[in-house]
Amino acid sequence: MQGLVDIWVDVQSWILETVVHPLLFRFGYMTFFEDAPFVVETLMLGVVQIAVILLVFRPLEQLAPAEQWPDRKLARVDIVYTLLSKLGVLPFVVFIVLYPVNDWLQDLVRDHDLVLPTVEQSLPWLRDKPLLLFATYFLLYDFAGYWLHRMQHAFPWWWALHSLHHSQRQVTCWSDDRNHLLDDLLASVYFAVVALLIGVQPGQYVVLLLLSRLIESLSHANVRFGFGRVVDKVVVDPWFHRTHHARANAAEPHIHDSNFGAVLPIWDLLFGTAVYDYKRRPTGVDTPDADADNGKGWLGQQIAVAGRLARAILATFRPRRLAHPAE
Amino acid sequence: MIVGLAIATPAAASPPQLVVVLNSDEGSLSIVDRQTLKEVDKRSIGREPHHLMLTPDGKDLVIGSTATNELTFLDPVTGETRRRVRNILDPYQLGFSPDGKWFVTAAYRMNHVDIYEAKEFTLVKRLPLHTLPSHMAFTRDNAQVLITMQGSNQLVAIDLATQEVAWTADVGEAPAGLYALPDGKRVLVGLTGEDAVAVVDLAQKRVVKWVVTGKGAHNIFRMPNDETRVLVTNRLDGTISLFDTTKLEVIDTIRAPGGPDDLDFTPDGKQIWVTQRWRRKVMAIDLATKQIVATVNVGRSPHGIYINGPHTVSRSVAPPPEPTEDKTAQTPKASLPDILPKVLAPLFR
Repeated sequence: MQGLVDIWVDVQSWILETVVHPLLFRFGYMTFFEDAPFVVETLMLGVVQIAVILLVFRPLEQLAPAEQWPDRKLARVDIVYTLLSKLGVLPFVVFIVLYPVNDWLQDLVRDHDLVLPTVEQSLPWLRDKPLLLFATYFLLYDFAGYWLHRMQHAFPWWWALHSLHHSQRQVTCWSDDRNHLLDDLLASVYFAVVALLIGVQPGQYVVLLLLSRLIESLSHANVRFGFGRVVDKVVVDPWFHRTHHARANAAEPHIHDSNFGAVLPIWDLLFGTAVYDYKRRPTGVDTPDADADNGKGWLGQQIAVAGRLARAILATFRPRRLAHPAE
Repeated sequence: MIVGLAIATPAAASPPQLVVVLNSDEGSLSIVDRQTLKEVDKRSIGREPHHLMLTPDGKDLVIGSTATNELTFLDPVTGETRRRVRNILDPYQLGFSPDGKWFVTAAYRMNHVDIYEAKEFTLVKRLPLHTLPSHMAFTRDNAQVLITMQGSNQLVAIDLATQEVAWTADVGEAPAGLYALPDGKRVLVGLTGEDAVAVVDLAQKRVVKWVVTGKGAHNIFRMPNDETRVLVTNRLDGTISLFDTTKLEVIDTIRAPGGPDDLDFTPDGKQIWVTQRWRRKVMAIDLATKQIVATVNVGRSPHGIYINGPHTVSRSVAPPPEPTEDKTAQTPKASLPDILPKVLAPLFR
């Protein structure tokens, strides 16, 4: 194991010392010097995730597909999302925008002399149990993620953004990163607040990120198997998440408002949003404007969804038409 | 584990030769045995611990956990945890004024400097300073604490009597480590965004000389029992410069790969132990031969480092203070329910 860690650290050090540090130094960005190892490691993890998708999840989709499609044309755009996200392009844009927001949050905490309680201080017995402490953070982040997801479905303007993620008729292991840039941005602000409240060690965050993102990629995979009727109550599996991506219809108009959990289904079980009926349903959305995302490229989808967001926001200001007494 | 090591040592024998290393990215400290060159213990210490230092009486080793907002006090001989002081907001860099009256913290992440009354850790003053207050040094006359601003490229002098900013000077890209020269009139500043150390004249409040050391010049450490020489870690070059403070010139360079950051000297002064931030290791360098004589795996992003030694043993003859669990600093603060709506409201408008 130490041998693997040594190779990983050697590769990370090589990238830092030969590429990243000289660039930061040359262009006067040494302020970000301390963050560079974390950024490089996140990119390396992105490469690992892409490798796992290609070498494990894609063969599984070929072997046992949940849905048979004549081709995978619609799924291709999701590969662009995955590459942009996992190779750091979109996270970089989000980081640039988020940087002042994060500063503002930190200043707000400082200006109010607010010393936030930490997990270790609230539960001191966890201090000397790093694995349990990590599990606690994992639980808290997943819980926060569950409620973020609930909000994405609950607010019409947020659903206008998030419906891009759901509009895919060919949900595959590439679909996890199919999000509008603004949706990613809002999620990042949300998790910045969560991080401020509960925090997490950068080192643990890397493991947390890898674990959760791999599970999420697998849960989107077009495969017709799950983890079994016991384990699927512990970890989200492809069956469980495919129900969340099911296309709403007259008989089940809110089927997609279920199974919100990203990694742990316990939150759905606790808050009554879990559906374990193991039915196969087509994926996508039943609204024509969102369904029209299919067939568009990355930029086309980003523009179309921005329009959808604008219309949703305007709709909130439009006075409701009163019903005529004769109606 | 460490307690066991200490107890197992015969009374007449030397105490365990330990190195305490703070793994800033995993919230732990590693204890390395200098004899076996092995990490003999690793334990949680609070999130993002960066720096550590001895209390003025030498009885405690203080660690600042920046994201847990607390100080942890260790027995400097055995590494045993003694007590914690909470509500110290983002204690990134720590410093006791030489007269022992003030305890100062630089909050790198949260952009402020706090001045505490050192006995009870009562907050006296919080000075917002943008951006990235990083390292500190006290002037030799105890009058001021100097802070480098790694984000805004400045050196800030804070008057300890009035607790106000006395003056600010532009010093160069990403200033970090500081060393107040023995003449009491000048200070060395490591410029991480440059390849040099700046010499700042405290009366003129400006840089009067630059001395090239190596890319990413960062931290500055005085050689044991010798105020005329300091070591400068050059993080990008992966070197350490031996610097003459009287002639203001580099007299030797030591190879030290892996982003050398903090270091400490062995009690005999013959070796330095250096943290290699992105290689997750500490290395021991023989100062006579300039060779790396040992490398030990520790945790992620090792930062602060401390070597115990006979000097600490002689100080530890006095009984250790009674453990005080989770003592809370006298910091005025709002409650979470009060402030949370203010924090969140603008995001959802």
